[in-house]
Amino acid sequence: MEERLYDLIFICRPATPEEEINKIVTTLEHSAVEHGGKVEKTEKWGTRRLAYRVSKHREGFFVYMVLRSAQSDIIKELERRLKVSDAVIKYQTVRLDEDLKRQQKLVHHRERRASRRPRKPAGAPAPQQQVPPAAEQTAAS
Amino acid sequence: MADEPIKAPAETPAPSAPRAEGPPGGGGGSHRSEGHSGGGGQRREGYSGGGGGGPRREGGGPSGPGGGGPGGPRRGGKRQYFRKKKVCRFCVERVDFIDYKKVEMLQPFVQERGKILPRRMTGTCSRHQRWLGEAIKRARNIALLPFATEL
Repeated sequence: MEERLYDLIFICRPATPEEEINKIVTTLEHSAVEHGGKVEKTEKWGTRRLAYRVSKHREGFFVYMVLRSAQSDIIKELERRLKVSDAVIKYQTVRLDEDLKRQQKLVHHRERRASRRPRKPAGAPAPQQQVPPAAEQTAAS
Repeated sequence: MADEPIKAPAETPAPSAPRAEGPPGGGGGSHRSEGHSGGGGQRREGYSGGGGGGPRREGGGPSGPGGGGPGGPRRGGKRQYFRKKKVCRFCVERVDFIDYKKVEMLQPFVQERGKILPRRMTGTCSRHQRWLGEAIKRARNIALLPFATEL
């Protein structure tokens, strides 16, 4: 199976001490590696205001991770861990590789089109020729 | 793409309708917009639905006086409802991927109460609106954007 890219965000209670968050992050990284995945990036966004109340909290400590893995079990395992830990009040995993693939395809397509013909809009001239008479009519009368 | 057929009926009552709407373009018609917004007359600025009410569709009322009756071309008076062609902001900036984590980027497309703004107000093309909706929903799920603001 080909590799997949995931975004994982989780929110901890705002009162959680820093060490505990670090502990959660390291355990997650460990179990990700155990299951044949790779953590590409870990970012702590810090305490942010939540857009709505989550288990009676209006603020939360956001942690953002980027994972790469060929097995989908890794997500199951990580989400189980997040669910179990008391400090975490919300988490979300999003699969991103398909979106990024689509993005690359579009970029590639655009580049190819740009290289094929130098900047000269093909469709534009025809409609533009029709525009002036109409515009003159309205202006003159 | 899909917004041309919708707009067409609103513009047909005007005598100078042949503003060469052309075939519905592929990429949301972002290139063509410059062509026929230069027709003169007053322009409406501010297509981006910043807060609540952007420029809505002004049909009906203003088109009344000259529309059906005398048949002649419109007098010197300016056409009241000359709408500036809205251009998809994402097409202009060549956005291929809308990130759900950039809240400040998504915020202009959400009403204060948390609703996603419709395409007819923001001018987003159908493809980008689809991606945008997806991104907003993802952001909502992780409490970056509200589902609805509680009072």
